[in-house]
Amino acid sequence: MEQTTSISHKENTERIADLLLSIGVLLLSSGSNSRRMNVNISRIANAWNCKIELFSSFTGIMVSLKDKENSNLVTKFKRVAHHGVHYGIVSQISVLSWRVKDEQLSFEEVERELEIISKMPHRPAGQIYFGIGIACASLCMLMHGDYKNALVAFVASCAGLYFRRLLAGLKFNVLICIVPASFVTSLIAGMDVLYHFGKTPESTLATSVLYLIPGVPLLNAIMDMIEGHIPTAMARGLYAACILLGIAIGMILSMMLIGFSNY
Amino acid sequence: MISFDSVILRVLQDGLLAFFVGVGFALLFNAPKKAVIMAGLLGAGGHMLRFVLREEFEIGIIAATLAGSLFIGFCSIGAAHVVHTPPVVFSMPACITMIPGLYAYRTMIGVVKIADTDTSVRTPGLLTETFHNFVLTGSLLFALAIGISVGSLLFRKKSVKHLRLRGQRKT
Repeated sequence: MEQTTSISHKENTERIADLLLSIGVLLLSSGSNSRRMNVNISRIANAWNCKIELFSSFTGIMVSLKDKENSNLVTKFKRVAHHGVHYGIVSQISVLSWRVKDEQLSFEEVERELEIISKMPHRPAGQIYFGIGIACASLCMLMHGDYKNALVAFVASCAGLYFRRLLAGLKFNVLICIVPASFVTSLIAGMDVLYHFGKTPESTLATSVLYLIPGVPLLNAIMDMIEGHIPTAMARGLYAACILLGIAIGMILSMMLIGFSNY
Repeated sequence: MISFDSVILRVLQDGLLAFFVGVGFALLFNAPKKAVIMAGLLGAGGHMLRFVLREEFEIGIIAATLAGSLFIGFCSIGAAHVVHTPPVVFSMPACITMIPGLYAYRTMIGVVKIADTDTSVRTPGLLTETFHNFVLTGSLLFALAIGISVGSLLFRKKSVKHLRLRGQRKT
Protein backbone atom coordinates (compact mmCIF):
# COMPACT_ATOMS: atom_id res chain seq x y z
CA MET A 1 0.00 0.00 0.00
CA GLU A 2 2.79 2.33 0.96
CA GLN A 3 4.57 1.40 -2.28
CA THR A 4 1.64 2.20 -4.58
CA THR A 5 1.01 5.67 -3.15
CA SER A 6 4.65 6.62 -3.53
CA ILE A 7 4.53 5.46 -7.18
CA SER A 8 1.44 7.53 -7.87
CA HIS A 9 3.12 10.51 -6.22
CA LYS A 10 6.09 9.97 -8.48
CA GLU A 11 3.81 9.79 -11.52
CA ASN A 12 2.11 12.96 -10.42
CA THR A 13 5.41 14.84 -10.21
CA GLU A 14 6.38 13.50 -13.63
CA ARG A 15 3.14 14.72 -15.14
CA ILE A 16 3.67 18.18 -13.64
CA ALA A 17 7.22 18.24 -15.04
CA ASP A 18 5.91 17.26 -18.49
CA LEU A 19 3.28 19.99 -18.41
CA LEU A 20 5.81 22.62 -17.31
CA LEU A 21 8.14 21.53 -20.11
CA SER A 22 5.40 21.84 -22.74
CA ILE A 23 4.61 25.34 -21.45
CA GLY A 24 8.30 26.28 -21.68
CA VAL A 25 8.72 24.89 -25.18
CA LEU A 26 5.56 26.65 -26.33
CA LEU A 27 6.87 29.94 -24.92
CA LEU A 28 10.32 29.62 -26.48
CA SER A 29 8.93 28.66 -29.88
CA SER A 30 6.57 31.66 -29.77
CA GLY A 31 9.38 34.17 -29.36
CA SER A 32 9.55 34.82 -25.63
CA ASN A 33 12.85 35.64 -23.93
CA SER A 34 14.49 33.38 -21.36
CA ARG A 35 13.54 35.43 -18.31
CA ARG A 36 9.86 35.44 -19.19
CA MET A 37 9.87 31.68 -19.61
CA ASN A 38 11.68 31.18 -16.31
CA VAL A 39 9.30 33.44 -14.43
CA ASN A 40 6.13 31.94 -15.89
CA ILE A 41 7.17 28.35 -15.23
CA SER A 42 8.41 29.07 -11.71
CA ARG A 43 5.17 30.88 -10.91
CA ILE A 44 3.11 27.80 -11.80
CA ALA A 45 5.50 25.39 -10.05
CA ASN A 46 5.45 27.44 -6.85
CA ALA A 47 1.67 27.59 -6.91
CA TRP A 48 1.63 23.78 -6.94
CA ASN A 49 4.08 23.60 -4.05
CA CYS A 50 7.04 22.34 -6.08
CA LYS A 51 10.65 23.46 -6.10
CA ILE A 52 12.01 23.95 -9.58
CA GLU A 53 15.47 24.20 -11.12
CA LEU A 54 15.44 25.16 -14.76
CA PHE A 55 18.03 25.23 -17.50
CA SER A 56 17.16 26.53 -20.94
CA SER A 57 19.24 26.76 -24.07
CA PHE A 58 18.22 27.75 -27.59
CA THR A 59 17.38 24.18 -28.60
CA GLY A 60 15.93 22.67 -25.47
CA ILE A 61 14.75 23.02 -21.88
CA MET A 62 15.66 20.89 -18.86
CA VAL A 63 13.75 20.98 -15.56
CA SER A 64 14.44 19.38 -12.25
CA LEU A 65 11.25 19.31 -10.23
CA LYS A 66 11.04 18.51 -6.54
CA ASP A 67 7.75 17.97 -4.75
CA LYS A 68 7.98 19.77 -1.41
CA GLU A 69 5.53 17.38 0.31
CA ASN A 70 7.16 14.03 -0.39
CA SER A 71 10.51 15.09 -1.90
CA ASN A 72 10.06 13.23 -5.18
CA LEU A 73 12.67 14.39 -7.67
CA VAL A 74 12.08 14.30 -11.43
CA THR A 75 14.44 15.56 -14.14
CA LYS A 76 13.25 15.88 -17.70
CA PHE A 77 14.36 17.38 -21.00
CA LYS A 78 12.45 18.57 -24.04
CA ARG A 79 13.61 19.91 -27.39
CA VAL A 80 12.44 23.18 -28.90
CA ALA A 81 11.64 22.27 -32.50
CA HIS A 82 11.24 25.63 -34.19
CA HIS A 83 11.46 29.34 -33.42
CA GLY A 84 8.64 31.52 -34.67
CA VAL A 85 6.79 34.53 -33.32
CA HIS A 86 3.30 34.25 -31.87
CA TYR A 87 2.69 36.88 -29.20
CA GLY A 88 -0.90 35.75 -28.75
CA ILE A 89 0.39 32.53 -27.16
CA VAL A 90 2.93 34.42 -25.04
CA SER A 91 0.30 36.71 -23.55
CA GLN A 92 -2.24 33.89 -23.03
CA ILE A 93 0.31 31.78 -21.11
CA SER A 94 1.22 34.77 -18.98
CA VAL A 95 -2.45 35.24 -18.09
CA LEU A 96 -2.77 31.49 -17.41
CA SER A 97 0.19 31.48 -15.03
CA TRP A 98 -1.33 34.34 -13.04
CA ARG A 99 -4.63 32.46 -12.88
CA VAL A 100 -2.82 29.39 -11.53
CA LYS A 101 -1.33 31.52 -8.80
CA ASP A 102 -4.36 33.62 -7.91
CA GLU A 103 -7.23 31.17 -8.48
CA GLN A 104 -5.35 27.95 -7.61
CA LEU A 105 -6.26 26.18 -10.88
CA SER A 106 -5.84 22.41 -10.72
CA PHE A 107 -3.52 20.35 -12.90
CA GLU A 108 -6.32 19.11 -15.21
CA GLU A 109 -7.68 22.62 -15.76
CA VAL A 110 -4.27 23.93 -16.78
CA GLU A 111 -3.77 20.95 -19.11
CA ARG A 112 -7.08 21.73 -20.80
CA GLU A 113 -6.31 25.47 -21.08
CA LEU A 114 -2.88 24.74 -22.52
CA GLU A 115 -4.43 22.48 -25.17
CA ILE A 116 -6.62 25.41 -26.30
CA ILE A 117 -3.74 27.91 -26.20
CA SER A 118 -1.37 25.71 -28.20
CA LYS A 119 -3.95 25.44 -31.00
CA MET A 120 -4.44 29.22 -31.09
CA PRO A 121 -4.76 30.19 -34.76
CA HIS A 122 -2.67 32.78 -36.55
CA ARG A 123 -4.34 35.95 -37.70
CA PRO A 124 -6.17 35.67 -41.05
CA ALA A 125 -3.78 35.97 -44.02
CA GLY A 126 -5.60 39.00 -45.42
CA GLN A 127 -5.03 41.00 -42.24
CA ILE A 128 -1.33 40.14 -42.17
CA TYR A 129 -0.77 41.04 -45.85
CA PHE A 130 -2.62 44.31 -45.52
CA GLY A 131 -0.92 45.18 -42.24
CA ILE A 132 2.57 44.42 -43.53
CA GLY A 133 1.95 46.20 -46.84
CA ILE A 134 0.74 49.33 -45.05
CA ALA A 135 3.57 49.08 -42.50
CA CYS A 136 6.30 48.88 -45.15
CA ALA A 137 4.69 51.66 -47.19
CA SER A 138 4.53 53.85 -44.06
CA LEU A 139 8.16 53.09 -43.20
CA CYS A 140 9.05 54.09 -46.75
CA MET A 141 7.28 57.43 -46.33
CA LEU A 142 8.90 57.91 -42.92
CA MET A 143 12.28 57.53 -44.61
CA HIS A 144 11.62 60.39 -47.04
CA GLY A 145 9.92 58.41 -49.81
CA ASP A 146 6.95 59.88 -51.69
CA TYR A 147 3.64 58.08 -52.28
CA LYS A 148 4.85 56.39 -55.49
CA ASN A 149 7.77 54.84 -53.60
CA ALA A 150 5.35 53.75 -50.91
CA LEU A 151 3.10 52.09 -53.49
CA VAL A 152 6.00 50.06 -54.89
CA ALA A 153 7.06 49.12 -51.32
CA PHE A 154 3.49 47.94 -50.59
CA VAL A 155 3.40 45.65 -53.65
CA ALA A 156 6.97 44.41 -53.13
CA SER A 157 6.53 43.49 -49.46
CA CYS A 158 3.20 41.75 -50.04
CA ALA A 159 4.64 39.69 -52.90
CA GLY A 160 7.70 38.74 -50.86
CA LEU A 161 5.57 37.81 -47.85
CA TYR A 162 3.47 35.58 -50.13
CA PHE A 163 6.59 33.70 -51.25
CA ARG A 164 7.85 33.33 -47.71
CA ARG A 165 4.55 31.91 -46.46
CA LEU A 166 4.36 29.63 -49.50
CA LEU A 167 7.81 28.15 -48.83
CA ALA A 168 7.20 27.95 -45.09
CA GLY A 169 4.00 26.02 -45.85
CA LEU A 170 6.08 23.54 -47.86
CA LYS A 171 8.20 22.97 -44.71
CA PHE A 172 11.42 24.41 -46.09
CA ASN A 173 14.19 25.46 -43.72
CA VAL A 174 13.49 28.87 -42.15
CA LEU A 175 16.67 30.40 -43.50
CA ILE A 176 16.01 29.01 -46.99
CA CYS A 177 12.59 30.73 -47.01
CA ILE A 178 14.19 34.12 -46.37
CA VAL A 179 16.39 34.24 -49.50
CA PRO A 180 13.65 33.90 -52.18
CA ALA A 181 11.36 36.24 -50.26
CA SER A 182 14.05 38.90 -50.06
CA PHE A 183 14.93 38.27 -53.73
CA VAL A 184 11.35 38.77 -54.93
CA THR A 185 10.86 41.86 -52.77
CA SER A 186 14.05 43.59 -53.86
CA LEU A 187 13.45 42.61 -57.50
CA ILE A 188 10.11 44.44 -57.47
CA ALA A 189 11.61 47.32 -55.50
CA GLY A 190 14.50 47.32 -57.99
CA MET A 191 12.03 48.20 -60.76
CA ASP A 192 11.61 51.51 -58.93
CA VAL A 193 15.35 52.09 -59.22
CA LEU A 194 15.43 51.06 -62.86
CA TYR A 195 12.47 53.14 -64.09
CA HIS A 196 12.52 55.95 -61.46
CA PHE A 197 8.84 55.87 -60.48
CA GLY A 198 9.30 57.87 -57.33
CA LYS A 199 11.60 60.54 -55.95
CA THR A 200 13.89 58.39 -53.78
CA PRO A 201 14.10 54.77 -54.98
CA GLU A 202 16.71 54.09 -52.27
CA SER A 203 14.10 54.34 -49.53
CA THR A 204 11.84 51.86 -51.35
CA LEU A 205 14.64 49.29 -51.50
CA ALA A 206 15.69 49.83 -47.91
CA THR A 207 12.21 49.63 -46.38
CA SER A 208 10.38 47.02 -48.45
CA VAL A 209 12.48 44.14 -47.02
CA LEU A 210 12.01 45.28 -43.44
CA TYR A 211 9.15 42.81 -42.84
CA LEU A 212 11.84 40.08 -42.91
CA ILE A 213 14.01 41.76 -40.25
CA PRO A 214 14.48 39.34 -37.30
CA GLY A 215 13.46 41.98 -34.78
CA VAL A 216 12.26 39.54 -32.13
CA PRO A 217 15.39 37.28 -32.06
CA LEU A 218 17.70 40.32 -32.22
CA LEU A 219 16.09 42.18 -29.35
CA ASN A 220 15.61 38.97 -27.34
CA ALA A 221 19.33 38.32 -27.79
CA ILE A 222 20.22 41.69 -26.32
CA MET A 223 17.73 41.29 -23.46
CA ASP A 224 19.04 37.79 -22.65
CA MET A 225 22.60 39.13 -22.74
CA ILE A 226 21.74 41.86 -20.25
CA GLU A 227 19.94 39.45 -17.94
CA GLY A 228 22.77 36.92 -17.88
CA HIS A 229 21.51 34.15 -20.17
CA ILE A 230 24.71 34.34 -22.23
CA PRO A 231 24.56 31.03 -24.20
CA THR A 232 20.95 31.65 -25.24
CA ALA A 233 21.80 35.23 -26.13
CA MET A 234 24.67 34.17 -28.39
CA ALA A 235 22.56 31.49 -30.10
CA ARG A 236 19.74 33.97 -30.72
CA GLY A 237 22.17 36.55 -32.01
CA LEU A 238 23.72 34.08 -34.46
CA TYR A 239 20.28 32.97 -35.60
CA ALA A 240 19.29 36.59 -36.24
CA ALA A 241 22.59 37.22 -38.03
CA CYS A 242 21.93 34.24 -40.32
CA ILE A 243 18.51 35.67 -41.20
CA LEU A 244 20.11 39.06 -41.92
CA LEU A 245 22.67 37.31 -44.13
CA GLY A 246 19.82 35.57 -45.97
CA ILE A 247 18.13 38.94 -46.59
CA ALA A 248 21.42 40.38 -47.88
CA ILE A 249 22.00 37.40 -50.20
CA GLY A 250 18.52 37.73 -51.68
CA MET A 251 19.00 41.47 -52.25
CA ILE A 252 22.44 41.00 -53.80
CA LEU A 253 21.11 38.32 -56.17
CA SER A 254 18.40 40.68 -57.41
CA MET A 255 20.93 43.49 -57.78
CA MET A 256 23.13 41.24 -59.91
CA LEU A 257 20.14 40.67 -62.17
CA ILE A 258 19.36 44.39 -62.47
CA GLY A 259 22.97 45.55 -62.54
CA PHE A 260 25.03 47.09 -59.74
CA SER A 261 25.73 50.23 -61.73
CA ASN A 262 22.09 51.25 -61.30
CA TYR A 263 22.38 51.43 -57.50
CA MET B 1 10.53 82.12 -37.53
CA ILE B 2 9.13 78.64 -38.01
CA SER B 3 5.51 78.27 -38.93
CA PHE B 4 3.71 76.68 -35.98
CA ASP B 5 0.91 75.04 -37.97
CA SER B 6 3.14 73.29 -40.45
CA VAL B 7 5.26 71.83 -37.64
CA ILE B 8 2.22 70.35 -35.90
CA LEU B 9 0.97 69.01 -39.21
CA ARG B 10 4.28 67.33 -39.95
CA VAL B 11 4.48 65.81 -36.46
CA LEU B 12 0.93 64.47 -36.77
CA GLN B 13 1.67 63.02 -40.20
CA ASP B 14 4.75 61.36 -38.75
CA GLY B 15 2.69 59.91 -35.92
CA LEU B 16 0.00 58.60 -38.27
CA LEU B 17 2.56 56.78 -40.41
CA ALA B 18 4.26 55.32 -37.33
CA PHE B 19 0.83 54.17 -36.06
CA PHE B 20 0.36 52.07 -39.21
CA VAL B 21 3.85 50.59 -38.87
CA GLY B 22 3.21 49.54 -35.26
CA VAL B 23 -0.17 48.02 -36.12
CA GLY B 24 1.23 46.15 -39.13
CA PHE B 25 4.06 44.51 -37.21
CA ALA B 26 1.81 43.69 -34.25
CA LEU B 27 -0.46 41.87 -36.72
CA LEU B 28 2.54 39.95 -38.10
CA PHE B 29 3.47 38.88 -34.56
CA ASN B 30 -0.11 37.69 -33.86
CA ALA B 31 -0.63 40.04 -30.93
CA PRO B 32 -4.12 40.20 -29.34
CA LYS B 33 -6.49 42.90 -30.60
CA LYS B 34 -6.06 45.39 -27.75
CA ALA B 35 -2.27 45.01 -27.91
CA VAL B 36 -2.34 45.78 -31.65
CA ILE B 37 -3.98 49.16 -31.03
CA MET B 38 -1.64 49.86 -28.11
CA ALA B 39 1.39 49.01 -30.27
CA GLY B 40 0.21 51.52 -32.85
CA LEU B 41 -0.38 54.25 -30.26
CA LEU B 42 2.96 53.73 -28.48
CA GLY B 43 4.81 53.53 -31.80
CA ALA B 44 3.23 56.80 -32.88
CA GLY B 45 4.10 58.46 -29.56
CA GLY B 46 7.71 57.31 -29.56
CA HIS B 47 8.28 58.19 -33.19
CA MET B 48 6.68 61.63 -32.80
CA LEU B 49 8.95 62.32 -29.83
CA ARG B 50 11.97 61.30 -31.88
CA PHE B 51 10.79 63.43 -34.81
CA VAL B 52 10.35 66.52 -32.64
CA LEU B 53 13.73 66.03 -30.94
CA ARG B 54 15.51 65.59 -34.25
CA GLU B 55 13.82 68.27 -36.31
CA GLU B 56 13.07 71.01 -33.77
CA PHE B 57 15.77 70.55 -31.12
CA GLU B 58 18.41 69.21 -33.52
CA ILE B 59 19.47 66.37 -31.25
CA GLY B 60 21.49 63.55 -32.82
CA ILE B 61 19.68 60.51 -34.16
CA ILE B 62 21.03 58.05 -31.57
CA ALA B 63 20.06 60.16 -28.54
CA ALA B 64 16.67 60.93 -30.08
CA THR B 65 16.03 57.23 -30.75
CA LEU B 66 17.02 56.37 -27.19
CA ALA B 67 14.57 58.97 -25.90
CA GLY B 68 11.81 57.59 -28.12
CA SER B 69 12.40 53.99 -27.10
CA LEU B 70 12.63 54.91 -23.39
CA PHE B 71 9.29 56.69 -23.79
CA ILE B 72 7.82 53.50 -25.27
CA GLY B 73 9.41 51.38 -22.54
CA PHE B 74 8.07 53.45 -19.63
CA CYS B 75 4.61 53.85 -21.14
CA SER B 76 4.37 50.12 -21.84
CA ILE B 77 4.72 49.36 -18.12
CA GLY B 78 1.58 51.34 -17.39
CA ALA B 79 -0.17 50.08 -20.50
CA ALA B 80 0.41 46.45 -19.51
CA HIS B 81 -2.15 46.88 -16.72
CA VAL B 82 -4.71 48.20 -19.20
CA VAL B 83 -4.20 45.64 -21.96
CA HIS B 84 -3.51 42.62 -19.70
CA THR B 85 -0.59 41.30 -21.73
CA PRO B 86 3.15 41.32 -21.01
CA PRO B 87 4.60 44.71 -22.07
CA VAL B 88 6.96 43.19 -24.65
CA VAL B 89 3.96 42.12 -26.78
CA PHE B 90 3.27 45.71 -27.78
CA SER B 91 6.56 47.48 -27.02
CA MET B 92 8.40 45.30 -29.55
CA PRO B 93 6.24 46.24 -32.59
CA ALA B 94 6.17 49.83 -31.33
CA CYS B 95 9.97 50.01 -31.31
CA ILE B 96 10.17 48.52 -34.81
CA THR B 97 8.84 51.85 -36.10
CA MET B 98 12.33 53.24 -35.39
CA ILE B 99 14.33 50.33 -36.82
CA PRO B 100 17.38 51.60 -38.75
CA GLY B 101 16.47 50.01 -42.09
CA LEU B 102 18.03 52.69 -44.27
CA TYR B 103 21.41 52.53 -42.49
CA ALA B 104 21.45 48.73 -42.57
CA TYR B 105 20.76 48.89 -46.30
CA ARG B 106 23.53 51.43 -46.88
CA THR B 107 25.94 49.27 -44.87
CA MET B 108 25.14 46.31 -47.09
CA ILE B 109 25.52 48.27 -50.32
CA GLY B 110 28.82 49.65 -49.00
CA VAL B 111 30.15 46.16 -48.28
CA VAL B 112 29.17 45.00 -51.77
CA LYS B 113 30.97 48.01 -53.26
CA ILE B 114 34.09 47.31 -51.19
CA ALA B 115 34.11 43.76 -52.56
CA ASP B 116 34.32 45.17 -56.08
CA THR B 117 37.98 45.97 -56.87
CA ASP B 118 37.47 48.91 -59.24
CA THR B 119 34.92 50.75 -57.09
CA SER B 120 36.80 50.27 -53.84
CA VAL B 121 40.01 51.71 -55.34
CA ARG B 122 38.29 54.63 -57.04
CA THR B 123 36.16 55.77 -54.06
CA PRO B 124 38.38 56.89 -51.17
CA GLY B 125 35.73 57.61 -48.50
CA LEU B 126 33.93 54.32 -49.02
CA LEU B 127 35.32 52.39 -46.05
CA THR B 128 34.71 55.26 -43.62
CA GLU B 129 31.20 55.75 -44.89
CA THR B 130 30.34 52.03 -44.70
CA PHE B 131 31.74 51.69 -41.21
CA HIS B 132 29.89 54.83 -40.12
CA ASN B 133 26.62 53.31 -41.32
CA PHE B 134 27.46 50.02 -39.61
CA VAL B 135 28.14 51.68 -36.26
CA LEU B 136 25.00 53.76 -36.60
CA THR B 137 22.89 50.63 -37.28
CA GLY B 138 24.35 48.84 -34.26
CA SER B 139 23.94 51.78 -31.90
CA LEU B 140 20.34 52.36 -32.93
CA LEU B 141 19.50 48.68 -32.39
CA PHE B 142 21.03 48.84 -28.92
CA ALA B 143 19.07 51.99 -28.14
CA LEU B 144 15.86 50.18 -29.09
CA ALA B 145 16.74 47.14 -26.97
CA ILE B 146 17.43 49.31 -23.93
CA GLY B 147 14.04 50.96 -24.34
CA ILE B 148 12.22 47.63 -24.48
CA SER B 149 14.00 46.07 -21.52
CA VAL B 150 13.99 49.20 -19.33
CA GLY B 151 11.09 47.87 -17.26
CA SER B 152 12.88 44.73 -16.17
CA LEU B 153 16.24 46.49 -15.85
CA LEU B 154 15.36 49.43 -13.65
CA PHE B 155 12.71 48.05 -11.35
CA ARG B 156 14.30 44.67 -10.66
CA LYS B 157 10.95 43.01 -10.12
CA LYS B 158 10.09 39.72 -11.71
CA SER B 159 6.99 41.05 -13.39
CA VAL B 160 5.57 44.49 -14.13
CA LYS B 161 2.42 43.30 -12.37
CA HIS B 162 4.27 43.86 -9.09
CA LEU B 163 4.61 47.54 -9.94
CA ARG B 164 1.30 48.47 -8.47
CA LEU B 165 0.03 51.89 -7.57
CA ARG B 166 -0.65 52.83 -3.97
CA GLY B 167 -3.73 51.26 -2.44
CA GLN B 168 -3.82 48.36 -4.81
CA ARG B 169 -3.56 44.79 -3.68
CA LYS B 170 -0.02 43.50 -3.30
CA THR B 171 0.70 40.13 -4.92
